[in-house]
Amino acid sequence: MSLKELNALAANRSARRRSGGKADTRDNRAALGFLSPWMLGIVGITLGPLLYSLYLSFTNYNLLQSPSWVGLDNYERMFGDERLHQALKVTFTYVIVSVPLQLAVALGLALALDRGMRGLAFYRSAFYLPSLLGGSVAIAVLWRLVFGASGLFNVILGLIGIESSQSWISNPDTALWTIILLHVWTFGSPMVIFLAGLRQIPRAYYEAAATDGANVWWRFRHITMPLLTPIVFFNVVLAIINSFSNFTQAYVVSGGTGGPADSTLFYTLYLYQEGFGNFRMGYAAAMAWLLVLIIGAVTAINFWLSKRWVHYDD
Amino acid sequence: MTDLATRSQNVSATPVPGAAVTPRGRSGWSRAKSVLRHSAMLAVVGITLYPILWMIASSFRPDGQIFGTASIIPEQWDVSNYVDGWNALGEPFGVYLMNSAIIVLGSIIGNLVSCSMAAYAFARLRFRFQGPAFALMLVTIMVPIHAVIVPQYILFSKLGLVNSFIPLILPKLLATDAFFIFLMVQFIRGLPRELDEAARIDGAGHFRTFFQILLPLMKPALATTAIFTFIWTWNDFFSQLVYLTDPAKYTVPVALRSFIDAQSGSSYGALFAMSVVSIVPLILAFAFGQKYLVRGIATTGGK
Amino acid sequence: MGKYRPGRRALTGATIVAAASLGLAACSSSGSDDSPSDGASAAGGSDVELRLAWWGSDSRHSATQEVIDAFEEANSGITVVGEFSDWGGYWDKLATATAGGNAPDVIQMDQLYLASYAEREVLSNLADYSALDMSHLGDSVLGMGQVDGAQYAMPISTTSFTLLVNQDVLDELGLTLPDTDAWTWDELGEFASSVTEASSGDVVGIGPMNNEYSLQLWARQHGEALFTDGNVSISEDGLASYFQLALDWAQSGAGAPADQYSEQAALTLDQSDFATGKQAMSFTQSTQIAAYTTASNGANLVPVKIPTEDANATPYAYLKPGMYWSLSSQSKHPEEAAQLIDFLVNDPAATSIIGTERGLPANPDTVEQLSGNLSPEETKAVEYTETLDPILGDAPEIVPNGASDTDPLIQRYLLEVMFEQSSPADAAASFISELQSSIDAA
Repeated sequence: MSLKELNALAANRSARRRSGGKADTRDNRAALGFLSPWMLGIVGITLGPLLYSLYLSFTNYNLLQSPSWVGLDNYERMFGDERLHQALKVTFTYVIVSVPLQLAVALGLALALDRGMRGLAFYRSAFYLPSLLGGSVAIAVLWRLVFGASGLFNVILGLIGIESSQSWISNPDTALWTIILLHVWTFGSPMVIFLAGLRQIPRAYYEAAATDGANVWWRFRHITMPLLTPIVFFNVVLAIINSFSNFTQAYVVSGGTGGPADSTLFYTLYLYQEGFGNFRMGYAAAMAWLLVLIIGAVTAINFWLSKRWVHYDD
Repeated sequence: MTDLATRSQNVSATPVPGAAVTPRGRSGWSRAKSVLRHSAMLAVVGITLYPILWMIASSFRPDGQIFGTASIIPEQWDVSNYVDGWNALGEPFGVYLMNSAIIVLGSIIGNLVSCSMAAYAFARLRFRFQGPAFALMLVTIMVPIHAVIVPQYILFSKLGLVNSFIPLILPKLLATDAFFIFLMVQFIRGLPRELDEAARIDGAGHFRTFFQILLPLMKPALATTAIFTFIWTWNDFFSQLVYLTDPAKYTVPVALRSFIDAQSGSSYGALFAMSVVSIVPLILAFAFGQKYLVRGIATTGGK
Repeated sequence: MGKYRPGRRALTGATIVAAASLGLAACSSSGSDDSPSDGASAAGGSDVELRLAWWGSDSRHSATQEVIDAFEEANSGITVVGEFSDWGGYWDKLATATAGGNAPDVIQMDQLYLASYAEREVLSNLADYSALDMSHLGDSVLGMGQVDGAQYAMPISTTSFTLLVNQDVLDELGLTLPDTDAWTWDELGEFASSVTEASSGDVVGIGPMNNEYSLQLWARQHGEALFTDGNVSISEDGLASYFQLALDWAQSGAGAPADQYSEQAALTLDQSDFATGKQAMSFTQSTQIAAYTTASNGANLVPVKIPTEDANATPYAYLKPGMYWSLSSQSKHPEEAAQLIDFLVNDPAATSIIGTERGLPANPDTVEQLSGNLSPEETKAVEYTETLDPILGDAPEIVPNGASDTDPLIQRYLLEVMFEQSSPADAAASFISELQSSIDAA
């Protein structure tokens, strides 16, 4: 059975199912059952604090005393807050550069590993190691050893004839790029998800294609990619969300300052500094909701675009 | 698999001009290619492995000699950092490992059960308010933790549940980790629908379809969820710091931070020694879990 | 709050089930109480549980735990649970716990945060508790634990500001430190440059001053004060000269260039160039001599006075409380908590356990008791502090409410100046307005 025929069949079935009113009621009740833990969590744990933080965003709240209502003051303050503008600039640069870069590396290596070479398990584990380290101090130390004034990076530059003695990690012009590289370096998580997705593609499709004499490129283009698109989509959406709210890497490398000279002041790092360092939790809450608006808009666009390229089997 | 591999070599070998199509030439070329590919892979491994090796080497160095060197070869095999680090804090380090293990275990079970159930509903069922519910779920991933941790803390504090593992495990049992719901939704939507249609025709209800047909096929997604939950919970510092007050309930990341003091001396040797100790379970979890990552439809025989 | 009442009810059912099944019902004594601030009455005779929180590293944790054991032995019926974290995590945790009405009873406090907590009424006035004896302390030191005239904090230790010199490095380079008794900033700059030259750049002379303590002293040397009446009072010129000094050193070679300094700016002292022998002199507090000695693998470190423009000017130096004990107003057992604080700072048994772990004790009797058992590094610190006597002035105003982020702020503007993104004058102006607006907003 060809891919097209499979799809047509599935589409037919979904259409049939959607038109039946009786099926709808049955689904409703089943959905209630399957979603009951999630709904309990939303109502009991997630929604309360979420709404409360929305309320806090309209208050002056210093954590130690009760919040007092200030209306839109916090939101108005954002227009004149230069550090916030800097944080937005840093964060957008980071998202735009590091998301495609990291996903490309992750997908490339996942495809290479999926071909079943010798030592597969070893490579997979070794590639995943950086993602295991989380916010370990070792990372901060390492990054200094690599991108510091006398670091490995300068040594390598020297080998190819470029003399450099500058410290990449502590120069305001280059510090952000070292964190972008740090992010790319933790490509393990998306790679694992890609690998899991690749493993889910039914072998039958490849076998069918093989008997038809299709070459590697054709198989990648017409089987692997279309069937992997739901996972690619997942990785893109989540990578964007996670990059917008990146905290740990910036915190670890800059010691929580966002320095040098605010050049790595990520949005959530600034939010954290305002909320916990300066006791301005009302403003921090307002910042959080601005971030939700931004990420929400980007994600909505993503979902809208996905109709054009993501292939679902339903 | 082998079929595919040989085939791919054939395809890329044919365009090579000249007499290279003799069997001997072909194997030479493929060996070269293999060497090339392995050296590329090993180069990447070098980049990823370096920090761990440095950390291991540092865990054998005395405190004053750690930061001067980038070498990954330990000068001596002095285990005193391990002995000191194990006993340096209020409890033996094993207590923190155990506490982390309990939270991790609860979180894994919670995420596997509750997120897969929710994912099935979102991916395969049609129900009222599905769109808004899905959007709400995504919004919960977007709110930075630092903005909601205080309201959440107040909630658990009013319930008298702080200084216990409940605020750390209960949310996972109730599918608040929307990341994994979305992940599994995408996986389920990638599975051929004819599978559960067939089950339906056989008279299976939703629960049977879910447990008997889909769950076994979702092994890669479930393994991913388990591994990620393990790693993220094991490394999660902030919420564990905030909720746990009694040192006997501290977890690994909270304990590790206690070796460092920004104002006076820190015990980096002990810190790195215990970091090495605490990374071992992660590596084991991944090494063990990745077996399941590669077992998808490919090996379970679903067609 | 009322907004999530329905959710709370739904959750309670679920949590009861979960709590029962996990068998981990919370044992925090105050968690379920709804009105934490009115529990000022004494305990009803039965067992009292106190929580004691501090920041620090492992050596402090084990010493404090021993003191807790000694206190429990001496006071049956009171149990104390110690909670420790690193510096950064400590403040996040304390703020969150306070927000949840669940603050620890006894809190290790820092000068940067004292006013922020005291003015927001989450600390108790220690003068109300007779169990705590403060008579050993001088007025100047006690004054640095007061906010609006009330004693919100009990100074544990005092520390003095110093320039720490790595004598081993100087010996290796064959250099001799000039007479530091009345030296000027220019002399220090020149000597620092000679270090960099003599080592052909492998070792730099000095690092910039970069914290609130040093800025206070700089202001006082110039007849100013950093804060007056709860507001920023240093002049733009005075602050600009502080930034200018750092810029001059970075450019002249006396100190590390901007990027080399910036690399270590946010790191712990173990990783600093001074600890690793790549910098000959560093500004620090006398209580950190021991930590630097360990971090530099046993180098011979000598504390000397910082320079002045004019040695005969008004006495500018002062002893700063290294840390304090405070009593949370959310405590349900304040009497017992005050008793615990008294034990921690005044009891000879506690003193012999904790020694100088939290710095040189502010209580002179305690110092006396310890005098025979000081390590060489601690002796250095005590002797150095004695030399400051002639230039010791009154303690300045403590950091006001809203200015607890002064240290990171100094660091940020300092780097802007060193990287030449702002001139010292511009940085000074922005610094003052940002800090002042932060105070106004609090």
